[in-house]
Amino acid sequence: MHEISLVRNIFKTLEEAFPGQLGNISNISMRVGLLSNVQPILMQNAFAAVKQDEQDCRASLCIEVLPIIIYCVSCNKNTEVHNFKFFCSCGSPSRKIVQGEELLISRVEFFDSDMTRVRKQEDT
Amino acid sequence: MTPKSNYAPVGSVWCDNTTMNLLKANDYVAKIIREKLKDLLVINLCSSPGSGKTTLMQETSKLLNEKLNMAVLVGDPETERDAIRMKQVGINALQIVTGGMCHIEAQMILQALDHINLDGVDVLIIENVGNLVCPAAFDLGEDFRVTMISSTEGDDKPKKYPRMFLTSELMLVSKADLLPYVPFSINAVTQDARDINADLEVITISSLNGVGLLQWCAWLERKIIEKKQKSFRIN
Ligand SMILES: Nc1nc2c(ncn2[C@@H]2O[C@H](COP(=O)(O)OP(=O)(O)OP(=O)(O)O)[C@@H](O)[C@H]2O)c(=O)[nH]1
Ligand SMILES: [Mg+2]
Ligand SMILES: [Zn+2]
Repeated sequence: MHEISLVRNIFKTLEEAFPGQLGNISNISMRVGLLSNVQPILMQNAFAAVKQDEQDCRASLCIEVLPIIIYCVSCNKNTEVHNFKFFCSCGSPSRKIVQGEELLISRVEFFDSDMTRVRKQEDT
Repeated sequence: MTPKSNYAPVGSVWCDNTTMNLLKANDYVAKIIREKLKDLLVINLCSSPGSGKTTLMQETSKLLNEKLNMAVLVGDPETERDAIRMKQVGINALQIVTGGMCHIEAQMILQALDHINLDGVDVLIIENVGNLVCPAAFDLGEDFRVTMISSTEGDDKPKKYPRMFLTSELMLVSKADLLPYVPFSINAVTQDARDINADLEVITISSLNGVGLLQWCAWLERKIIEKKQKSFRIN
């Protein structure tokens, strides 16, 4: 249920950014934090299901799950959270989330990729 | 997201900070709600289905009745039953039927605000859809999130639904009257929840025999006073 509405929003977001280009997208990369409650496998299924409604969309979906990282004020450093223990190695608790709540589209790839042109664009 | 261009894109386009529409829109509306409800306390009450949220609302209104004015927005995928149950005991309640959806979104609250009279109300409690997963991602413009977990659900929930406990101010352990009959450790559940959220307050309650209800009402009163002082300072 929730995954379906998220996937619908992927398409909505992309349609806004690249009007009329949905059919030209070959891959969509997402970064989702461990706290976002998104299950990659459910997201993939929802994506496959919603894709059928979007005419000529041939894109694949690639999901990268990001671990939770918190910031400790006393040590001025970041620590990865394991087993949902929101404590720094110094023992101080912290809920300052540096990473882990993401729900982002990080990269969109297109068919018809004339790589030399892309490189040139990147160079300039 | 990359700005629109007339050229068909080729190759890869890196998108920085493209937070998904859904959450962006929700957070925007949540901000509007927060702005609108500056003068009263707003609580987002979350739990699994059947933990005892509606029953607690009924008991809370009885206890607060003389002193404080409370209103409830209650979300359920279907039926108006919970709002009817609350109205029967005189609560100013309004049902939000989410149409099968597993969580309330800020937009639903904003719309509901046009249909509930909040004049003189001290605390608005939003009884969220019974679900510990999805509601965690949706800010409803509340001041505090309160998570309820009943003694019959098992004491392993915090680590299974960390985000909910991470973002909560208070955990209510409900149905305390059943503790003698079920393997449920208050210490274990508190320890697990405080691994996630060291500042989490915990109150054990029973709507059936009244245990902890005064403590819960005192918590509400304290937060109401704090909110009023804050809004007084701002105005
Ligand atoms: N033993 C016991 N039962 C309770 C208590 N509070 C509620 N119940 C029972 O638990 C069941 C569910 O209570 P509700 O108040 O409807 O729970 P809810 O969280 O509002 O449920 P949903 O809105 O459907 O998610 C009912 O049968 C209540 O009578 C309690 O403190 N002790
Ligand atoms: Mg209910
Ligand atoms: Zn530290």
